[in-house]
Amino acid sequence: MTAVADSTTTTWTLLKEVQQRAAIEGDGVAMRAKRLGIWQDITWNEYVDQVSLVGHALLALGLDTGDRVAIHSENRPEWLFGDLGINAIRGITVGLYPTNPAPEVAYLLADSGTRVLIAEDQEQVDKALAVEDQCPNLEWIVYLEPRGVASLDHPKLLGWQEFIDKGRAHREAYPDALNRIAHDAQPEDIVTLVYTSGTTGPPKGAMLSNANVEFASSVIVNGGGLYEPPPNPGDVILSYLPLCHVAERAVTTWTNAVSGAVVHFAESIDTVTTDLREVQPTLFFAVPRIWEKLKAGVEVRMGAASWIKKANYGLWMRVGRGIADSMLANGGEHTLWSRIRYAFGYVFLYRALRERVGLGKVRAAASAAAPISPEVLYFFFMMGVRINELYGMTENSAVATSNKRGRIKLGTVGEPHPGVEVVLAEGTGEILTRHPGNFMGYWNKPEATADTLDADGWLHTGDVGEWVDGTHLKIIDRIKDIIITAGGKNISPSELENSLKASPFIREAIVIGDQRPYLTVLIGIEEDTVGEWARARRIPYTTYRDLSEREEVLRLVQGIIAKTNEATARVENLRKFRMITKALDHEDGDLTATQKVKRSALTKTFGPLIDDMYSGADALPGGDQSDVIVVSRGEE
Amino acid sequence: MSSATSKSRHTTRGRPRLYTNYASEMAIFNTGAKRLWILIGFFALVILPFLLDRDMVSLGAKVLIFAIGGIGLNLLTGYAGQVSLAHAFFLGIGAYTAAVLGGEARGGVIGLGWDMAIWLPLAGLVPAIVAAVIAPLAARVRGLYLAILTLGLVFIGEHIFKEAKPITGGAGVGRAPAEPVFLGFDLFANYEVFGIEIDRYTMLFFTCLVIFVVMALLARNFTRSRFGRSFAAVRDRDIAAEVMGVSLLRTKTLAFAISAFYAGIAGALFSIVIGRISPETWNFFLSVDFLAVIFIGGLATITGSIMGAIFVVMLPQLVNALTRYLPIDPGVGGGGLLNVFELQSIIFGVLIVVFLIVEPRGLYGLWLRVRNYFKAWPFSY
Repeated sequence: MTAVADSTTTTWTLLKEVQQRAAIEGDGVAMRAKRLGIWQDITWNEYVDQVSLVGHALLALGLDTGDRVAIHSENRPEWLFGDLGINAIRGITVGLYPTNPAPEVAYLLADSGTRVLIAEDQEQVDKALAVEDQCPNLEWIVYLEPRGVASLDHPKLLGWQEFIDKGRAHREAYPDALNRIAHDAQPEDIVTLVYTSGTTGPPKGAMLSNANVEFASSVIVNGGGLYEPPPNPGDVILSYLPLCHVAERAVTTWTNAVSGAVVHFAESIDTVTTDLREVQPTLFFAVPRIWEKLKAGVEVRMGAASWIKKANYGLWMRVGRGIADSMLANGGEHTLWSRIRYAFGYVFLYRALRERVGLGKVRAAASAAAPISPEVLYFFFMMGVRINELYGMTENSAVATSNKRGRIKLGTVGEPHPGVEVVLAEGTGEILTRHPGNFMGYWNKPEATADTLDADGWLHTGDVGEWVDGTHLKIIDRIKDIIITAGGKNISPSELENSLKASPFIREAIVIGDQRPYLTVLIGIEEDTVGEWARARRIPYTTYRDLSEREEVLRLVQGIIAKTNEATARVENLRKFRMITKALDHEDGDLTATQKVKRSALTKTFGPLIDDMYSGADALPGGDQSDVIVVSRGEE
Repeated sequence: MSSATSKSRHTTRGRPRLYTNYASEMAIFNTGAKRLWILIGFFALVILPFLLDRDMVSLGAKVLIFAIGGIGLNLLTGYAGQVSLAHAFFLGIGAYTAAVLGGEARGGVIGLGWDMAIWLPLAGLVPAIVAAVIAPLAARVRGLYLAILTLGLVFIGEHIFKEAKPITGGAGVGRAPAEPVFLGFDLFANYEVFGIEIDRYTMLFFTCLVIFVVMALLARNFTRSRFGRSFAAVRDRDIAAEVMGVSLLRTKTLAFAISAFYAGIAGALFSIVIGRISPETWNFFLSVDFLAVIFIGGLATITGSIMGAIFVVMLPQLVNALTRYLPIDPGVGGGGLLNVFELQSIIFGVLIVVFLIVEPRGLYGLWLRVRNYFKAWPFSY
């Protein structure tokens, strides 16, 4: 980085990146948010101004260096203003998932010792107020949306506008305060606590420093680790995944700050598909669940199309298969012949299809945060969207490996970034990484830190991997998720689960078989697609549960499992399945905030289903390889 | 600011749904495709007269005139929901206003011989004022009763036209229309521009084209305005509109007046095209022609009115061309199974019935279907 003007030291901070950009093109658009039906521009100058107001406001509230401030909101400009404003006073940002229920909010606020909470609306304020007595350090709750909150009379509540006004008054009184603080910024300053989703046990707050963020930004953003070629100010991003997750922080806040790509905030999580069509981003990052949903959306809508359109789709997707094959044989790059075929298909299908999905202008796409089925990646390759599957985790600032352009290998997470050491531990095959992005440890959990980060600086990821062709890393599974059957076979459940989830009808699949004679699976259906499927076949149903238990649906699931079984060895065959008759939910503790299945919790909740399979009772809805069990429920 | 707008444009280019201000969302031609086609259409219309013979050129002028009148009726019937059979009456008033102000005093009729710059706007204003006077009566009734009331207006009008000899020349005689001299510039003379000869038919066509473009754009804009929306509110449910604070009397009066303004302009131009005007021209059947324009073209669309005008004016030509291949007598009497005019009437009637049943949105609706089929591509919804 070039030296920064006068009073500041050379410590790299995200805020300085933003300030530099504002100095060069202050009137340029930094981000857009949809308000009242219009995408409102926010310029770099406005961004910097808001950040400084937040910083001053926090000072006005009496916050000090190293204090924690939590943000509990959907993605919106204020998230970024808050995040960088907190860093401007060398405070620590704690991100909360909008879906976090009140007990988790209590845990996170108490564990981090948060002094100020920035809560989006009534929903989040209510959660905080409900658990206020469990959070002794909480002094202020700043709310963004006054609706339903403004009338509450509570000493800790403070509206965003008042908060900003305090900042403005403070800035007039002490115009130099933030500059002096910035001057003292150190590379080791903790900038954020990113709470791991906690599939086992309570979440742990991973501490990331200025130096971590600097390294991560330089490698995965400007180094092209995420998107190749690297992002530039002409790029367009849609921000819709939770910003408290390290991946979305990387693709929104960091990418925006260091590359100048324009961020667009989705209106809400429910409008993402519409927003995607409007924004037509050039860079698109999604987690496997989103890619699966996009694929299912295309397939379901295609199923309802007229025959001419179906035939057109069928023809060009067949051609697409050929294009994808020749591209993959060529490391993910077009060959002359595939380009010619693509050009024709572009006219008849790919252009319209991509535009309708919202990927019309995507020049680089990425998938991470969970394992994805190669089948899903392949589907997008067929329409010319190259998805870079990459690997990283909170604890290493999302920096580890990625599929480099021209060297893509489907089913792997690619090669280590430059300057990143990745090795497999002897014996266990656990993936270890070492680089300047490795985190500073878990907040207030030295033992857990010691378990993860060893004395030589190696980060123990908890994932088991293997090398493919000596260059590309393939993730087998989480160590603790590996199933060892009663016969002593090691089996990776996520591979089987992803293969099942590649079907548009399956939303959740949980493979069971640890210390058991054979493998079984719990299946949760995707209500939208199966519902559509059932309607097309005139199968009546009332509720999610009713739909799950229909004989036709059981046969459908059985067929999907049989297809997966065909492709696997006998020991990996799924002998039986049972239906999960409720939609899994974060609120109920079945899923983590990132929609990952909490295995331990589920095996407890669905104990009866599992027992039913292994005891041979066959009394609950489900089936085996040859037959299905239909349970008739009497009138209730 | 310049950098902001240029960069803002850079990241919104090629993203037609990404509206960063209300103006672009409300734009008349909100997509690049629309802008392109409008441009292509306009240039085609400019070049067309040089490629066709003079009969076809005057027919083109007639299409434009019918489109202007059709737009006027569509504002009243399509947008504001007020059925009117009196359109011909307002065309007549416009024609005679123009003739009196701009025509020659010959053969016992009044003619002031003023310039077109004066008589053209007045040819619109006078019918508009007449309509505004009558509208409060019409605003009291709706549906069938309104149709009957306006029907009465046509017959009263025809009678007045026949009797007001100093103005109209009287039944069976008629009079000459206004002289198309615009600011001393005779539109009926032949001109030569850059070696290209422009005859009077082409001049008339261009005159109509300019007026048509202006009036169509005005109408298109009007329908997006506050008043345009109040029209739709009254059409969809008059009581609901009134409850929302839309004055029925004011809205209906405005609708009648604007509609009559368009009719008046169309009438004045129409009289020039046909050359000599007799009171019988402005009869019930002309009203029906205009209803056909908007029903076949599509209710409550400006584009539909234009499509309808093309269709209604061109259909007789098509039928004439068909007579060569069908056992139809090209003349009026004797010979084949049907004569041309009978066949025309049959086709007209059948088409109106078919459109009302199958595609009430008219030709424009057909176009919408085609467009949506490809807009949804590769899906069906």
